[in-house]
Amino acid sequence: MQSANMLLRKIVRSSTLPFAARYGMKKDLFPLSRTLSLSLCLKQDRSCEPSEKLDLDEWKKVMKSGLQEEVSETVSEPKELSSLAAARETLEMWRLAGRAVPENISEEQLKTFMECPSKSAKKKYLKYLHLKELHKKNDRRKMEEKRERRLEAQDQTSKTEETKKNSLVCMWSSTMDKAYNWRAAQSMIFGQPLVFDMSYEKEMSLREVTNTVRQIVLSESCNRRSVDPFHIHFCNFKDDSLYHREFIKQYREAWDKLLITVTDQCYTEIFPKDKLIYLTADSPKVMKTFDHDKIYIVGSMVDKSIKTGVSLARAKRLGLETAALPLEKYLLWSTGAKNLTLDQMMHILLTLKDTADWKKALEFVPKRKYCGFVNRPVTELKKTLHLMNTLKLGKGREEVQKQFAKSYPKKYKLK
Amino acid sequence: VQPPEKPLQAEEWNKLREDFQSPGIFEEVMLNSMIRCNSPIDVAKSLLTHLAKRDGDIAYNVLVKYLTLCVQQRQVSEICDVYDIMKARFKILESGAYNLLIKGLSNSDQWRMALTLLEEVKKIMIPSRTCYESCIKAASRHQEMKLAFELYDEMLAKDVIPTLDVLQSFFDFSRGMKDAELQKELFDILLYLRENQIYPHKTFMRSIKLWFESIPGGNWRGHLTNIKDSGQCPVCNHQLEDSNLTEEEYSNLSERIIRDVIHGTDTFRKTSPQEFEAFQTFVENRLPFDIVIDGLNVSHIKSRRMQCENLFDAVNCLAKENARLLVLGRKHMLMNSSHWKREIMKEMQNKAEFFFAENISEDDTFLLYATLRSGKHCKFVTRDFLRDHKACLPDSLTRHLFRKWQRGHQISKKNVFPLFFSQQPAFRYDCVVQTTGDTWHIPYKDVFEEKYSYQVPRKWLCIQQK
Repeated sequence: MQSANMLLRKIVRSSTLPFAARYGMKKDLFPLSRTLSLSLCLKQDRSCEPSEKLDLDEWKKVMKSGLQEEVSETVSEPKELSSLAAARETLEMWRLAGRAVPENISEEQLKTFMECPSKSAKKKYLKYLHLKELHKKNDRRKMEEKRERRLEAQDQTSKTEETKKNSLVCMWSSTMDKAYNWRAAQSMIFGQPLVFDMSYEKEMSLREVTNTVRQIVLSESCNRRSVDPFHIHFCNFKDDSLYHREFIKQYREAWDKLLITVTDQCYTEIFPKDKLIYLTADSPKVMKTFDHDKIYIVGSMVDKSIKTGVSLARAKRLGLETAALPLEKYLLWSTGAKNLTLDQMMHILLTLKDTADWKKALEFVPKRKYCGFVNRPVTELKKTLHLMNTLKLGKGREEVQKQFAKSYPKKYKLK
Repeated sequence: VQPPEKPLQAEEWNKLREDFQSPGIFEEVMLNSMIRCNSPIDVAKSLLTHLAKRDGDIAYNVLVKYLTLCVQQRQVSEICDVYDIMKARFKILESGAYNLLIKGLSNSDQWRMALTLLEEVKKIMIPSRTCYESCIKAASRHQEMKLAFELYDEMLAKDVIPTLDVLQSFFDFSRGMKDAELQKELFDILLYLRENQIYPHKTFMRSIKLWFESIPGGNWRGHLTNIKDSGQCPVCNHQLEDSNLTEEEYSNLSERIIRDVIHGTDTFRKTSPQEFEAFQTFVENRLPFDIVIDGLNVSHIKSRRMQCENLFDAVNCLAKENARLLVLGRKHMLMNSSHWKREIMKEMQNKAEFFFAENISEDDTFLLYATLRSGKHCKFVTRDFLRDHKACLPDSLTRHLFRKWQRGHQISKKNVFPLFFSQQPAFRYDCVVQTTGDTWHIPYKDVFEEKYSYQVPRKWLCIQQK
């Protein structure tokens, strides 16, 4: 043992570890350093072990003593829990275990949770509720901070006492609203109609209907503010449908004051069939210009779950003409669905109406979906590229002339 | 973060905590790394002691992670202690904790406690697959086969699908036992494989073989073999079941497909009612066909420039022996373009009947309709697996029938160069577990595949009783 200790001291002194020297001398009070877990220091270990052993199971004692206090308080028998209460308990346990579960969950949400068909559907729904709650909390926190900062700033400025002089006339937002409403009323009499087809309730889930209604609200507002608004029609709109309920939730009192036409008739009964064009991404026909005499129909559907061909099926069934936006023609598409949201469609149609400029209109397509705008169609560009390649490779002049003639038959006639 | 190698005191934990970038989640991260590095249990205990002293209570997720560590290191007494504490502190536990507890206890000599836990879980929710499987394996290990089978039946009744692992364990632990009831139960497992068209992998197959051969007094012998094309087993000369469907099954299947797949919810989505009616009249006037070909699918087998020639080769290949062919094309094939030349199209139309659908219609439904209406002998040619159509069918029985019909009636190409199709489909015999009382034929795969694969196994295990 003595020799071992001597050896230890030698090793310890020769190394550059900071605690080394002191470890060799002091045994008990100094904390065990990880750097010196040598198997040689048996003597020191044994003296430390008994105190450690006691420590290790102490947490159990602490927990059990805490529990005994609790148990003595609640003497009642554990009752049989109803399924809803049991679900709530399980959710609470999951939250403690660290899964993405919200803290407060209402009865309605709990019922939806129980009705979810599969385990993954349940998980996804809980995660959605959790994130919603988290965002709300963060927003509230940020608002509080902003308010505090504003109060502080106000305190500081009120000390300096400056009077602000403004040469602008005071413009209330209600004045602007009145102006917009006058324009909307004018469009109802003279403007071009635009139809939103509200017959997709059965194909969408509740969440998708909420999203659709939100998009329609946005598109209606941007329509009202434009220079020459459309006259918006909601067709196939049934009273007390999901759509109606969601609209009332979003608009509240303003729903009765909106200057749009709402009807439960189909658009084929209101407008003549030859004037209707159904806009859908699945259509094989590509739109070339905006026609001011035709009436465009947009399907109010959000497809979070893929629904290819549904809107086209509706149009086919009624025998209507269809059209798709020329996204492939004017944009170098990278990744993303070619289905656009309703407010994007509204912006595009409004811009097309005012200026027949595809470049300005297609600005409203999300920038992540494409990587460039081409003024001329992509096929034309490909021909030019091909021509340039042939020139580069140094092929004969006749070859180039032939290709040029093939690509641009009208411009260049072979002599 | 590296966990310490020795138990630390409270001050050292504090120091580590402050050094860490986000002290709020320090405990979780530390325990995660302990689980990953499989550090000794004492280190975790010291962390828990520190937490208990500091807060007076330990959070639930910390307890669960500690439990994971105990289960990983098989510290049974610790598991029991943690369970007692958790039980007293929280009214009910969640599925993760129960899974761990049952798994940990069933691997020890306190496995009966795992069974009581399982009963507790049943009151709250349907127990997960791992719970059941751990209990079944524990029961089998201790030779309580009756209990194991009871649990297995319960599992099936609650629609919890067993893994192949647990089925294999039944065979492993029943080796050498002589019990008529047990034998019947194990035969039931083999029939379960048959009904669900599951193919065992190599180790499972070996386990089955060893069990058969170990039955005292049974005199069963197993051999690995390949079945001949005619459907005869070279070892026992038994003729395997035919892959054709019976009349009743066939009419059932065709009715279901026409109702669910073709009409489905909206005919307009895949085609239009007028087009479909036109097709129906076309087919009814010209029935029966021998082979129906999906034109567009076949033309894409080789490079795109030779689309027309591809289809031409296929038609020539299959038109031997005066077979009546129907080719489903699209309207764009009639336009004289570089891919579809008019002369070749005319030549083909001499050898086969053609139906041209709209360019945007889906033609799979037409294919299925024509093949089913033509009768049981009719086969179809496409490389498509028709998975989306199988998914439209309502119940698993119809889906199995669809698969069986598909195996027997779908022709795929044999070679790419030269393009060669054989008129006979791949399998004359039905590729599924079969028995005749004193023989069992079991197809098996070499490798265990998680997902359902469309490849049919070629190797078989033949077991016969002498």
